[in-house]
Amino acid sequence: MDARIKYSVLLVGIGIIIAFLPFNTAETFRVKSNILLSRSASEDIYYSVDQVARMMNNEDSTVQIIDLRSTTQFKECNIPSSVNIPYPDLLNPIWEGTFNQRKIKKIFYGNDDQTSTYSWTILTGLGYQNNFILKGGLNEWFKTILYSKFNGIKISPVENALFENRYNARKTFTQINSLPDSLKTKFFSSKRLKQSKLDGGCE
Amino acid sequence: MALLILVIIRISDKNIFREPVRKAIEATQSNGNLITPDQLKLLSGSYLVIDLRRIAANDSIQFQHRKQIPFEKILDRDNRDVLDQTKGDLILFSDDAATASKAWVILNQLGYKNLLILTSNANPEELKYKFQPDTTARLEQDSI
Repeated sequence: MDARIKYSVLLVGIGIIIAFLPFNTAETFRVKSNILLSRSASEDIYYSVDQVARMMNNEDSTVQIIDLRSTTQFKECNIPSSVNIPYPDLLNPIWEGTFNQRKIKKIFYGNDDQTSTYSWTILTGLGYQNNFILKGGLNEWFKTILYSKFNGIKISPVENALFENRYNARKTFTQINSLPDSLKTKFFSSKRLKQSKLDGGCE
Repeated sequence: MALLILVIIRISDKNIFREPVRKAIEATQSNGNLITPDQLKLLSGSYLVIDLRRIAANDSIQFQHRKQIPFEKILDRDNRDVLDQTKGDLILFSDDAATASKAWVILNQLGYKNLLILTSNANPEELKYKFQPDTTARLEQDSI
């Protein structure tokens, strides 16, 4: 075959590959813009603080709560069972295993909604699935879970369940965040042991 | 020839994300993409405030150059034309921080420059509460 034809075929082949490659394979969004827009416009990407409190109380293993604040803020207080991935460190490859889990719901929170929204949009744009936002962040957590009170005279069963959930979450949050770091990891095993005794089961 | 057409179509496709994600993180982590109403009043260059709400409300702040584009329609062709033709800053505004933040990331990654979010709070991620530790907290004795 003529060398000129060979080179032409080779160049066309390379051109086709280049034409269909993402602009920057490692660091550009993979999801189509209209799809990302419609997903982000949905209210389904949010969990309320009451829903997250219930997940925390039940030690829901299908959920991973992710705290996007700085390490200093995380150490001061955090939602029990959450992991700390500071927002500036979001693209660090060490978190790949945490983000790339389709069966685990990842719920992001910051002090308010802004950092969690940035993170949700970035990770969803990069193609990671099952991402959610704790609506209102830690400010809403404090307001609703830690400081809300029932002010009525007669409490309905629904309200009773709601406030019991909040009370349990408040208790766990306050207890675990008051412990020294060395004891925090033992907290949940201690709680499970106590629960199994109450249930009449064995460890 | 067909290859050339494919490459041209791809390069001119406005819906392809082409900006490095890291740039979005760098621009947002120091709140450098936020502008307060007071700063907006002092803005000397040209700008367009994009009102992302579905229904415009009677605001206390009056914007000189405002265009209402609901968030869900921000990528419609006509609206993209408005964004493309704007010279100066594109200032995103919504009732809540989340909507403008989503729009900011999407438009930033599509290659729009000079994007700002209008917010009344210069530090929206401030924790408004102080955690009060319970000094009597301890683990159950039998687990230690």
